[in-house]
Amino acid sequence: MFDPEKFVEEKTRELKNKIEDKSIIACSGGVDSTVAAVLTAKAIGNRLIAVYVDTGFMRKNESEEVKKILEDLNVNFKLVNESQEFYEALKGIIEPEEKRKIIGEKFIRVFERIAKEEKAKYLVQGTIAPDWIESGGGLRDTIKSHHNVGALPKRMNIELIEPLRDLYKDEVREVARFLGIRVAERQPFPGPALAIRVIGEITSESVEIAREANAIAEEEIERAVEEGKMERPWQYFAVLLSSKSVGVHGDVRAYGYTIAIRAVQSIDGMTAAYSKIPHEVLEKISIRITNELKDKVNRIVYDITNKPPGTIEWE
Amino acid sequence: MVDNGGQWTHREWRVLRYLGVETKIIPNTTSFKALNVNGLVLSGGAPRIEKEALKLGKTAEYLDKANFPILGICVGCQFMVIHFGGKAGPAETPEYGKTKIFVDEENGLFKSLPKSFFVWESHNDEVKRLTEDFEILAHSKNCAVQAFKYLKKPFYGVQFHPEVEHTEYGYDIFKNFLKVCEEYMK
Repeated sequence: MFDPEKFVEEKTRELKNKIEDKSIIACSGGVDSTVAAVLTAKAIGNRLIAVYVDTGFMRKNESEEVKKILEDLNVNFKLVNESQEFYEALKGIIEPEEKRKIIGEKFIRVFERIAKEEKAKYLVQGTIAPDWIESGGGLRDTIKSHHNVGALPKRMNIELIEPLRDLYKDEVREVARFLGIRVAERQPFPGPALAIRVIGEITSESVEIAREANAIAEEEIERAVEEGKMERPWQYFAVLLSSKSVGVHGDVRAYGYTIAIRAVQSIDGMTAAYSKIPHEVLEKISIRITNELKDKVNRIVYDITNKPPGTIEWE
Repeated sequence: MVDNGGQWTHREWRVLRYLGVETKIIPNTTSFKALNVNGLVLSGGAPRIEKEALKLGKTAEYLDKANFPILGICVGCQFMVIHFGGKAGPAETPEYGKTKIFVDEENGLFKSLPKSFFVWESHNDEVKRLTEDFEILAHSKNCAVQAFKYLKKPFYGVQFHPEVEHTEYGYDIFKNFLKVCEEYMK
């Protein structure tokens, strides 16, 4: 079985030997990058600077929460807001692979700039096994280019270090628990964030709809879990679809967007079964989203696809 | 662990490690001479069996020269069938995700397992015809050959994926294959 203690020991030693001076780490506040940050800090102490990039696609209140997470970790950190650049780069882009590649490149350019300012030679990333497996290469087909692997630009002025490459999410969580990291149980959230939960063009309006719908879906599912109405899904979220449909609002015709709710059970993200959420919980989500998002959204669907054949995220 | 470019090659490696096996993922271009193993697992992968069998590298050499046990998964099992005179090609009804299989013969691989259980699939191609050197061990509603034994050597094939978490009894199937490997080592 997996032994987190041994893993931490080995990786700390490796990182200590490898990083002779300063390094930055890309840290989103998720389980993978936070574990990688704590591991690296154990190895090189205050020669590490954690960098959080606000892309403008984060979930509701996420940037404030990540700040608190980073403060608790006792590592040097830096928060940068790049949302204007990210929105501009994605203007008019609807193809999911193109979105992912633009985002991957943008991230790297930000990290290169900060590494230069900080005189750091390395970029540590919390890449885990599914990221490079699904990104493909050689014989392996590309399912989707993960922002931290397959979507990286060809030329990079920084050297990557990926201590968690061989782990899956359940193993990373074991390491997180062993290290006493409080985000150990946080649900997975993709690096490109809400940009890939908006099917179609990214605008501040479409991201705002996805953000509100995600917040409601998360809130209602978490409430139902606390009340013992359902098991906690491995991942749960909302996707804004590009298709519109007809509705009726106060005797008036409505024509609004559709939100898909997705929730899955998984161990490692490599296979997933859709969650059998009670209908009363789904109904509550449906009522809240359609009412609170008013004329923007008038239809909610629940995604009942397993992986395979679907993937967990839509893009 | 021979890597044929599968999404779950690394998962197979993880399962073997969890079962206490000393294991390594190797490219399928590794020569037979360079192998120093007691058993081999051929992973699944993206290559389509009719047109892209060459992408399976030196698999034919392993099948010809090995006397140790081999477990072929998905495209690995299809290749084994073709290599020994059978046929594989596009499935009439491909299977993706959850599928129920029915065990026809235990023959080592399914020892002490239920007669029917849920497994997860991900295949566009399938085994079409076996020669008399094969024995069918399991089938599903849409796929006649879900598992087989090659009777002339300790070789097995499975169309489904015992390595993924959602497959029931997946670890037991690997344990049974490891027993076959232990027998061979004696």
